[in-house]
Amino acid sequence: MAQLIQQLINGVSIGSVYALMAVGYSLVYSIMNFSNFAHGGVIMVGSYLGFYLLKAAKLPFPTALAGAALGAALLAVIVERIAYRPLRTRSAPFLYFIISAMGASMFIENFVVATIGPTFKTYPAVFSRMPFEIGPLYVGRIDVLIFVTAAVCLIGLVYFIDRTKLGKAVQATSFNQRAASLMGVNTGLVVTLVFAIGGLLAGVAGVLFGMKYTVYPQMGGITIKSFIAAVFGGLGSLPGAVIGSLLLGVIETMVSGYFSSNYRDLISFTLLIAVLVFRPIGLMGKVTEEKA
Amino acid sequence: MRDFLDLNWIGLYNVAKVMRVYGTRQSIWEVGVLSMNFRRSVILTLAATACLLLTSSVGFASLGGTVKLGWIGSLTGDQAVWGQCELNTVKMLAEEINAAGGLLGAKIQVIGYDTRGDAMEAVNAVRRLTSQDKVVTIIGPNTSGHAIPISSVLEEMKVPDIATVATNPKVTVVDGKVKPFNFRVCFIDPYQGAVAAGYAYDVLKFRKAAVLYDVADDYSQGLTEFFISTFTQKGGQIVAKEAFKFGDSDFRPQLSKIKAANPEVIFMPYFFKEVALSANQARELGIKATLMGGDGWPSEVLIEMAADAVNGSYVVNHLDFDDPDVADFKARYTKKYGLAVELNGFLAHDAFLVFVDAVKRANSFNPVAIRDAIETTKIKGITGNINIDKNTHNPEGKDAAIIKIVNGNYVFQQKYSPK
Amino acid sequence: MNWFYIKGILILCGINLTAVLGLSLLTGFTGLFSFGHAGFMAVGGYAAVWAGLRMGLPFPVALLAGGLVAGIVSLPIGRLTLNLKGDYFCIATLGFGEAIRLVLDNVQTFGGARGWAGIPVTTTLFNVTLAAALGTFVMVRLVHSRHGRNMIAIREEELAARTVGINALKYKMMSLFISAVYAGVAGGLQAYYLGFLQPKMFSMTRSTELTIMVIFGGIGSISGTVLGSILLTALPELLRAFALWRLVVYGASVIFIMISRPEGLMGGKEISIAWFRRLLRPVGVGGAGGSGGAGGAGAGGRGVRQ
Repeated sequence: MAQLIQQLINGVSIGSVYALMAVGYSLVYSIMNFSNFAHGGVIMVGSYLGFYLLKAAKLPFPTALAGAALGAALLAVIVERIAYRPLRTRSAPFLYFIISAMGASMFIENFVVATIGPTFKTYPAVFSRMPFEIGPLYVGRIDVLIFVTAAVCLIGLVYFIDRTKLGKAVQATSFNQRAASLMGVNTGLVVTLVFAIGGLLAGVAGVLFGMKYTVYPQMGGITIKSFIAAVFGGLGSLPGAVIGSLLLGVIETMVSGYFSSNYRDLISFTLLIAVLVFRPIGLMGKVTEEKA
Repeated sequence: MRDFLDLNWIGLYNVAKVMRVYGTRQSIWEVGVLSMNFRRSVILTLAATACLLLTSSVGFASLGGTVKLGWIGSLTGDQAVWGQCELNTVKMLAEEINAAGGLLGAKIQVIGYDTRGDAMEAVNAVRRLTSQDKVVTIIGPNTSGHAIPISSVLEEMKVPDIATVATNPKVTVVDGKVKPFNFRVCFIDPYQGAVAAGYAYDVLKFRKAAVLYDVADDYSQGLTEFFISTFTQKGGQIVAKEAFKFGDSDFRPQLSKIKAANPEVIFMPYFFKEVALSANQARELGIKATLMGGDGWPSEVLIEMAADAVNGSYVVNHLDFDDPDVADFKARYTKKYGLAVELNGFLAHDAFLVFVDAVKRANSFNPVAIRDAIETTKIKGITGNINIDKNTHNPEGKDAAIIKIVNGNYVFQQKYSPK
Repeated sequence: MNWFYIKGILILCGINLTAVLGLSLLTGFTGLFSFGHAGFMAVGGYAAVWAGLRMGLPFPVALLAGGLVAGIVSLPIGRLTLNLKGDYFCIATLGFGEAIRLVLDNVQTFGGARGWAGIPVTTTLFNVTLAAALGTFVMVRLVHSRHGRNMIAIREEELAARTVGINALKYKMMSLFISAVYAGVAGGLQAYYLGFLQPKMFSMTRSTELTIMVIFGGIGSISGTVLGSILLTALPELLRAFALWRLVVYGASVIFIMISRPEGLMGGKEISIAWFRRLLRPVGVGGAGGSGGAGGAGAGGRGVRQ
């Protein structure tokens, strides 16, 4: 029984990491209607920024976190300006966006490899590695922090989009860009804003991931799991992305813990296929038929 | 070299002439080279490139008293640190020999190519080394996945290869037949797995072991298989065998399961990044068992990341880091490059010794003669005695060094070979 | 340069070309983006070696069998995701590419992660060239047929294509199937060239490199695909010193191509006999418009996204 609960805790903690990454990705998806595959690269850069701010500049943790998040937001906006905006202004087909995103992700990752190097870096200890012990159970301090951060990000975003005027503008833009701009919404600014928020979240995710594990150029690869989780939850739905992520984390853990750790990813892939068979829009998704 | 350049220019000139005549049949003199349009210039460039490719010069095995030694390995990608260290080592040793008068009077020239962590690239690089550069021997690569596919090229071109840390048995022997041109200086996976299991059972007296391994890694799978078979043969019990996949950074689901099985020792046959992460997570989950690993462990980074978690762990290694010969090499390397020697450097060092020894005994730069000499190698390297077996092309009877991590230091325990 | 070395590069070009041709149909002509094409190569490679070594089929039959198995594996993925938004297909291929490697890592009868050694080296320059040439011929015929035009229509404007009665799902699946067959055959060629198979060979990086070849060559052009795959296979060999920055430059170029010249090297045009004839005509005459039915990809300005 203790093992089952411990595995649940493990699952939620892995799922929170996925969720933190999935929120930013899903936000951009819900507004722009395309998968920003460069999100992983932005997370990685945020993580490196946090590492250097903490280790080389010796800044206190909150300042370093804010710095890394701002840096990542800036990078996300730059990526949008260079790689996506020209395509958006001429309404290029979906395919071009994906290819451009792939190019951006490749550029970022390999630029870091070429300049900083392929080896990984270790964050200085900010929090104690010693977990909270509750009877026979162990809960990591950073895990709690990540879970809380993911929850706060989600609630904050939902509040921002549903309750603020700027949020309404974002919603309007996502619904119909041309109509929104006719209604006086500065859609260019809204898109920049969305990418900036996505980048902020990526920066926070990067720093927390780096603290929990380590920093290396290929760490963006873990966002694959976030993408799959977002499909679980329903592409374009923010709560869906978070719930999908937590679910994926728990499922993976349960598969490893009680079935076979060799085939873990195969089973998550099979589940993805199963979701597509029975509920193609995901658990909380909106209608996603190709509208062309 | 000059002839070759002239030749190409003549070729280019001819192409240009033909293009001009053919392309402007109506009036050759009206339309000169200057007004050639873009497409035509593209064609011309392509033709000229083709010309250049086809007429390039051919290298020589030993020209003006030099002999060429090839090296392949990863200089980019996640294995770059190790590959770079191997190449540095080989270059440094070659310079030292050259400074002391050379090998059989010839200077050694080292030609190293990057495999970019790709088997196809490794094959290309070996093709280039054996045919165009005409090297007499190749040192490397540092992974079995690249050492296996190059053997058909080696056999076709009849050039021997001495692998550094390719530990898969199939590098030198496939289906019971030894590959004539593949050699290595490291011990193989079955041996390393057996050493770890033997030491854990016989010396440390552990009876219940768990294994956590990387299912997507050949080295990790190899060690796991042979650790388990030896440990169970001796009468020990494997209480858990859990896998992760390269790229994972969370191992707690597997570790929680291992914890429930309550082992005395956990064998972790993979590389130091994952070792650091999994060791930390194991301690966070309250696992007190002793940890054990293979030659993927030794690294300063492991200590930096997880000094407390790996304290008291045992590592099967190729050599004792504090041995005087080793220390001498380390000092020379650090003096020249300002870097610490990675594990691969020591094996590249011994591969180079095997090459030099073979050339001296063969008294020839003929690759086939060198191959024949390598087959009967009996030398003392810094990683131990290297006695190449004719039937397996492996260094037989090489002792492993057992190292214990104590307060952030790699402390040599003993030389060990399984009974 | 030495012929033995050049031969090696040419064989590699041929293998890559075979895989890229298929991907060109999928991405360039049908507008679908796959992250997991190396997965189909893996399936094809292992199946071809299985057919050749364990079932004793002759080499060409084994290759075809590999291709066919890869094609069949692609069908369920296509059936489930191709009627949804493109992102679903992307993510499904991403998952597939990873999952297939994991399966191969685990299956010990194929050697697991340690790989399958001892495959006889059967692939030669001759049979690679034959396969690539045959593949090119079939592909040219296909994209110039009614089916090919239907696929292009789907890429350009799926809704409009459906309105005129094109069964979009059917054509997308057909495109995926054929491209998987090509990838499978290429995987088989690679396995029999290296004499060794290892799941590691078919990583996502491999998929990405194939896609980049399609993009450099030009979306919607077979000659571009041919040129792109040969150039991008041979260039890194010639510029070995440049290895560290290669992928950085590729990434930047991909973005640059997308925002400035999405048609790539060939701009949706084809090199044909007529093209050559025009090329050699006196200055000032040739050069208007693309030849060949597959041209006219100038997709840059049109196409409405929602």
